[in-house]
Amino acid sequence: MNQRRIFITSLTALSLSPWQSASATPSEAMQAMQRIVGNRPVNTGRIYFDLPPLVENGNLVAIKIAVQSPMTQNDYVKAIHVIAEANPLPNVVSCYFTPLSGKAEVSTRIRLADSQKVWALAQMSDDSFWRTSVDTVVTLSACTEMI
Amino acid sequence: MSRSSRAVVTLPKTAKRGEVFEIRAIVQHEMESGFRHTEQGVRVARDIIREFVCTYNGKEVFRSELHPGIGSNPLFIFYAKAEQSGSLEFKWTGDDNYLTIVKQTITVL
Repeated sequence: MNQRRIFITSLTALSLSPWQSASATPSEAMQAMQRIVGNRPVNTGRIYFDLPPLVENGNLVAIKIAVQSPMTQNDYVKAIHVIAEANPLPNVVSCYFTPLSGKAEVSTRIRLADSQKVWALAQMSDDSFWRTSVDTVVTLSACTEMI
Repeated sequence: MSRSSRAVVTLPKTAKRGEVFEIRAIVQHEMESGFRHTEQGVRVARDIIREFVCTYNGKEVFRSELHPGIGSNPLFIFYAKAEQSGSLEFKWTGDDNYLTIVKQTITVL
């Protein structure tokens, strides 16, 4: 191999390796969801998930999640989890509610490493699970850049 | 000695009994993800807030587990039901002995 070839291969190895190691895959996201859900069935819907379809800067993405629930002692939303398929770590945040919350709604700001599908998973007080997903396109990615 | 930083919590001063009121809690924190590298290729150690808890008269209202996927200066907007006048405590804990506590009071009419 000549000098140029060595240079090019080392360059591609350098630029590709952090990306390959630092990105989860859809199956890892499914495993992350499995760890929360266990063997119980997961229904689709019931969750309002607001995430911009086009994100300019993945470092700070405002999201809002709301689940319809009376929030009484017998029927309330226990938890809402956010799982991103292409982030280095699929788990983004888990929020836990009680009947004292009054409303199962939360807004926060997350990081997105790439264009991807983001899941919101809700656990009810009767241990039933609901989920919904949003596809988003990210132009400037977060998390893995050099500083 | 634990590390701390500035935090701001916004909630109404008064609320009617049974009313659901909004709480906004923001804290100053880098949320270093642990996935970034310096130009020399050295990985920057993870330094994030791990947990945020809000209690109302000692009872838990809202709790959140944070991962590196949360942006810097974490903001949470959530709700609580007004039952009795009293105090709300907001607690952030994280890596490297990070601890910030903010207390607020609310009057229920």
